[in-house]
Amino acid sequence: MKPDRPIPPPLAQRFLRWFLREDLAEEVQGDLEEKYYATLENYSAFQAKLNYWYQVCHYLRPFAIRKSKSGYTNYNAMFGSYWKIGWRTLSKQKMYSAIKIGGLSLGIAACLLMALFIKHELSYDQHYPDADRIYRIIGAYNIKGEISKNTYFPAVMASILKSDFPEVEDAGHFIGNEFLGREKQVVRRADKAENIYEEGFVYTDQGLLDILQPHFVKGDPSQVLNEPNSLAISKSKADKYFPNEDPLGKTLILNDDEMQPYIIRGVFEDFPATSHFQYDFLLTLTGTESFTGDHTTWRRNIFHTYIKVQPGTDATLLASKLTEEIVKTYMLSSWREIGIAEAETLAKGVSLALQPIHDIHLRSEGIYDGLNHGDIRFVWLFGAIAGFILIIACINFINLSTAKSANRAKEVGIRKVVGSFRGDLIKQFLTESVLFSFLSFILALLLAWLCLPYFNELSVKSLIFPWKEWWFLPLMVAVALMVGFVAGLYPSFYLSRFQPIQVLKGELSRGSKSSRLRSMLVIFQFTTSTILIIGTFIIYQQLDFILSKEVGFDKEQVLMIQGTNTMGEQLPAFKQELLKLTEVENVSVSDYLPIAGAKRNGHSLWKNGRKEIDSPVDGQIWFVDHDYIKTMGMEIIEGRDFNMEIAGDSQAVIINRTMAKVLGLDNPIGQEIYGWQAWQVIGVVEDFHFESLTENIAPLCLVIGNSPTVVSAKVNTGNMSEVIAAVTSVWDRFSPKEAFRYTFLDESFARMYANVQRMGHIFTSFAMLAIIIASLGLFALSSFMVEQRSKEISIRLILGAPLNSIFRLLTQNFLMLVLTALILAIPIAWYLMQQWLEGYAYRIQIRWDVFLLSGLIALVIALLTISYQSLRAALGNPVEELKSE
Amino acid sequence: MKETRLGDFEEVILLLVGILGEEAYAFKLAEEFESQTGRSISIGAVHSTLSRLEDKGFLKSAMGKATAERGGRRKRIYTITAYGQRALVASRDFKLSLWQQYPAFATDKLNFGGQI
Repeated sequence: MKPDRPIPPPLAQRFLRWFLREDLAEEVQGDLEEKYYATLENYSAFQAKLNYWYQVCHYLRPFAIRKSKSGYTNYNAMFGSYWKIGWRTLSKQKMYSAIKIGGLSLGIAACLLMALFIKHELSYDQHYPDADRIYRIIGAYNIKGEISKNTYFPAVMASILKSDFPEVEDAGHFIGNEFLGREKQVVRRADKAENIYEEGFVYTDQGLLDILQPHFVKGDPSQVLNEPNSLAISKSKADKYFPNEDPLGKTLILNDDEMQPYIIRGVFEDFPATSHFQYDFLLTLTGTESFTGDHTTWRRNIFHTYIKVQPGTDATLLASKLTEEIVKTYMLSSWREIGIAEAETLAKGVSLALQPIHDIHLRSEGIYDGLNHGDIRFVWLFGAIAGFILIIACINFINLSTAKSANRAKEVGIRKVVGSFRGDLIKQFLTESVLFSFLSFILALLLAWLCLPYFNELSVKSLIFPWKEWWFLPLMVAVALMVGFVAGLYPSFYLSRFQPIQVLKGELSRGSKSSRLRSMLVIFQFTTSTILIIGTFIIYQQLDFILSKEVGFDKEQVLMIQGTNTMGEQLPAFKQELLKLTEVENVSVSDYLPIAGAKRNGHSLWKNGRKEIDSPVDGQIWFVDHDYIKTMGMEIIEGRDFNMEIAGDSQAVIINRTMAKVLGLDNPIGQEIYGWQAWQVIGVVEDFHFESLTENIAPLCLVIGNSPTVVSAKVNTGNMSEVIAAVTSVWDRFSPKEAFRYTFLDESFARMYANVQRMGHIFTSFAMLAIIIASLGLFALSSFMVEQRSKEISIRLILGAPLNSIFRLLTQNFLMLVLTALILAIPIAWYLMQQWLEGYAYRIQIRWDVFLLSGLIALVIALLTISYQSLRAALGNPVEELKSE
Repeated sequence: MKETRLGDFEEVILLLVGILGEEAYAFKLAEEFESQTGRSISIGAVHSTLSRLEDKGFLKSAMGKATAERGGRRKRIYTITAYGQRALVASRDFKLSLWQQYPAFATDKLNFGGQI
């Protein structure tokens, strides 16, 4: 139905009704409607409508706007009163308030630091342009049911990916540092003589730069690494070597090798700390083939390969396509070419996968890639622990609030009598807990800020507080509100439930009502704390086990001199000079060291005459010199060591026990092993651990060869400073241009387990924090109990109760709780720690004494906490308590 | 204490209320103001002045009868109180006395036509 005449715009009318005072509505609406029709007579409908809007807007005046709510001012005043009462309660019971706030702020501070840590860990590799289209290629090899994953591929992989698959926009690769050992570590400007030690060298190609797109400050990003002998350096290194100069086109000499100078073609902004790709010197791969066909053969698997896919590509589909085509076309044929009999079976077990670049840091568990990365499990584990600590702190809050309820009961009663609703009381108590929470947050921020340097050391990060981020303070306020709300929820419902008549008659049994809940919460607190204590003990035991385990070589008193490759021809002379020192027992030249991160390789090996028949054994071939086994203190279990006198030893090999077993050599001496050549086995060395103890010992061969970067010297004195002084003087004679650098084998060994150590430290800190907070709560609870029963105790004392019975009376309840917690904690801790130990190939057995010790610690701490108040009560003068009434 | 002085615009509105008599409600007052002064004004501005004048005690108001127009809604009719009339008279007298002290007025040389 069409209206007879136009009506005023409905939206404007609605708006008017929304803001206009109720009592004005009639007249104003009337006036405006009259105005509208008056306008309509002389002007168009549109103008009339516009005018109506104009008139409506002009009613936005203080006199006409509806007051938001009647009683608004009262509402504010009530909140003011809540704050005031809250503040008074807080300052009246200083000890309880301090424990509530202190415990909560400790918990919050721990959570804050952990949140920073987690945020940092999760932010890895997000910064590349098109990060969501960058993937790393992973190969999974299923050999006889055992799956191993790695990221090593031949150089041709990248070019095949780019040429054969239209989905791949770009492909690139780099050589992992583990294959270069400690090569390329000193650098100097072409016009300077002094060599400076640097880390962060990597051989890479232009393709990888096109994928990762580091921000180039200088140089043409698309051409940087195309030419042979090109180099790109980071901004910080450019500033170091070429302050106030243009580094472009300048020459750097690596390892004193003037035959192969590198020319700087680009300067890029340093990779952020949250990048798994952390290098300062990017050397081109162009023209670096170590033998002809190095970059085209399928047999040199040393390249980490990355691709960028076209937008909208499904990674899983692409991965299965890669598996299908690359394995069939290239891998299989290359295996056939070198005559592997079981090539088909092998090929069936191979699959390729694409790993998104931002998963590399945290989700590379079980993938061999030679990189140092975090572990998503630890991130969540630490997060969970921090969460538990916060819960423990909140429990203190809840327990103390409900325990002290008797003191507030009268207040609740009176408030109800004078007309307070339950909702108002809940609001009041929530306001109070929010007040506590805010105070705790302020304290926690301060605490966390003060502890940040310590925490950074602990976690080996350089975290900073994001004070300046726009979201930080609002987030803190929101979380403070939430914590206050959650912690205050139960107490406020509990307190507001009291019936005024009972309270005011004094019928409410004082604070005992929710004692069952309180007991459960205390049990929870102590269970968590005990689990953390047990965890700490087991981690340290395992760490101690690793560090003191017989690793098969003597890591004590071995000095490793770094960077000796620059001596070149003079190295043997240097070795002889070292041997002349009285402190030096043995000297060996080899980069292949039994510590993780040293030089490694991988080769396919067969035993005598089985090359065409068996599947190969994947083993390391280490190039060492004649004194290696002596210097490292390894044990020959069969055959003999290398001997300078015997010329044939240059074609001989010493294998480890595992190699003999894997190859099935029952009587290995005199047998031959085939790789790219044949070696005769002259000895078997006892297995020694050359990787972290999380892994089993792999098959290994030692052959005579040249690997001149590290010289290891076994010394026979404890006076290391003397030794170092002596060695330094020799060094300066041979290599005056370079600083003397050394490490100790046992220190490098210990560094392999730095992350376990770190985890131990973090666990210790958290366990301590948890037990402190839990004890604080227990302390407050016990003093409250003593306070409640002070009259009873006094009367008992007067009637002749002995001290110990009073003491028992006060402590036994709490001790029962702690004991229950222990009984609960032990199986949980056992299960969790067993899970953790599974990750180690060599691990301790969890023994009962750990549980006993941890339980004892928890018990003693709890007992000490409780007994302070109990003893004070038992030793007090009963008259003091009783005379006042 | 309430503000009791009469502003310039308030004085005009007060006078208009007196002029319009039974028809003195916000819309009509705004119309009258526009036709008398030639300046446009929103009803809201008039209304807020009216309610201020009422607060000061110069006006009083009552809801009129329901009318068929404007959707059957009632109007608020304003009437001047005795206090309001006194204020108007005082204001006029004050101005007159000022004019009388003005020498140019005495010489009769000023032309008022259409000036006020």
